[in-house]
Amino acid sequence: MNNFRSSCGVLGNRLCGGLPCIAAAVLLLTAMPALAQQPAAGRVKVASGAAFIVRGGSAVPVRVGDTVYQSDGLRTGTDGRIGITLNDDTRVSLGPSSEVSLDRFAYAPAEGQLGFVLRVVRGVAAYVSGRIAKLSPDSVHLETPAAIVGVRGTTLALRVVPE
Amino acid sequence: MNKARWSALVVGLLAAGVASACGQLRLGAPERPGQTLTVLLPDDVGDSLGRATVSNPKGATNLESRNDATVASTNRRPTSAKHLSDSEVLRIFGDALSALPPPPQRFTLFFRFESDELTPGSRSMVPKILEAIKNHPVPELLVVGHTDTTGTIDRNFDLGLKRAEMVRGVLIDAGLDGAAIEIISHGETDLLVPTADDTFESRNRRVDISVR
Repeated sequence: MNNFRSSCGVLGNRLCGGLPCIAAAVLLLTAMPALAQQPAAGRVKVASGAAFIVRGGSAVPVRVGDTVYQSDGLRTGTDGRIGITLNDDTRVSLGPSSEVSLDRFAYAPAEGQLGFVLRVVRGVAAYVSGRIAKLSPDSVHLETPAAIVGVRGTTLALRVVPE
Repeated sequence: MNKARWSALVVGLLAAGVASACGQLRLGAPERPGQTLTVLLPDDVGDSLGRATVSNPKGATNLESRNDATVASTNRRPTSAKHLSDSEVLRIFGDALSALPPPPQRFTLFFRFESDELTPGSRSMVPKILEAIKNHPVPELLVVGHTDTTGTIDRNFDLGLKRAEMVRGVLIDAGLDGAAIEIISHGETDLLVPTADDTFESRNRRVDISVR
C-alpha cells in the first residue's frame, strides 16, 4: 500500500487544482482496484547513484527494499546501478545509463500462470534465470530492439546501443 | 587448440584492444542503434552453464559455451557465436554484474504423508535457515507449499498452503519477523520428482524456502 500512496501523491500534485482534480479522483478510483490486486513481482536489493522505478509514466527514485511489479520499468543515470530479486529467484541488474522493463512476470503455476519477459531498452543488464525458466522455459524471453533471447536456465549479460 | 584457432583468438584480442581504445564495442561490425551484444556466462552458483538462443527475423544464433557472444542488429542475422574474454566481459558488463543481488539460498523441508507435520530431519534445518538470512540485504523468505499427486488438485492446493503456513509458524517461533515471510501454494503443480497422477511420493510432499 505504501507504493500506491506514493504514486497517488505524484499524480495528485500534478493534476490537482479545480476541475482536473475531479478527473484525477475518478482516474484514481478506477485505477485503484487494478493496482491493489497486482501481486508483487520482487524487490530491489541493490541501488546506488541515480536509479529509478518507472511506473505509470513517472520515474520515482528507487530505494533498497522497494517492491517491483509487473510492467514496472527500471532506469539508471550515468552513475546508477540497480539489482532486483524476483519471487521465482530470477535476478536482474542494471549498470549505468540503462533502462529495462519487466513486461511480464507470472509465477503462479497452480493457476497455470508462468511467464517472464524482460525488455532491455538500452544500456547494460545482467540476468540470472529462476524457477520460471525451469518450469516453463519457453515462456521466458529477453527482448531488445534487435533480437529476442530465449533462455535455458542461465546467466546472461546484454548490452544494447541506445536508439 | 590448433593453430587456426590461436590466430583467430589473437585477431580477436587485437580487435577487442582497438575497440576498447575507441571506447566502443565492435566485434567486427559498426555500432548501430538498438544493436545488441549478448554473452552467455557461467552461473554464480555451482558454476553451471545454461544455453540461450538469440534470434530475429533474419536468423538465430545459439550460445552454448562459456562466454559465447553474439551481436544482433535490426535487419541482420545475429553474428555467429564468438568467445568474449573475461577481461572484455568485465570491461563491458562489470558494473551491471556487480549490481546482481546475492544468489537466493534454497531449503527444502519434507512432510509426513497427508499431514502438515515436518519430518524430524527437516525440523533440524531451521537453524541453517536463520544463519542464511544474515547473508542478504533486506532479507525476505518465500515459503512455497507442495504436495504429491494423490488427492484432488483443489485439496492439494489447500494442503500446500497449510504446509507453508505451518513452516511460517515454525520460523516465527524461531525469532523471524513474520512480515518478511510470504507464503504461497503450488499444490501438485511443481513436483520435485515427476510422477503420474495419484502417486505417493514422499519427496514431493515438501515446502521450498527461498531466502533472498
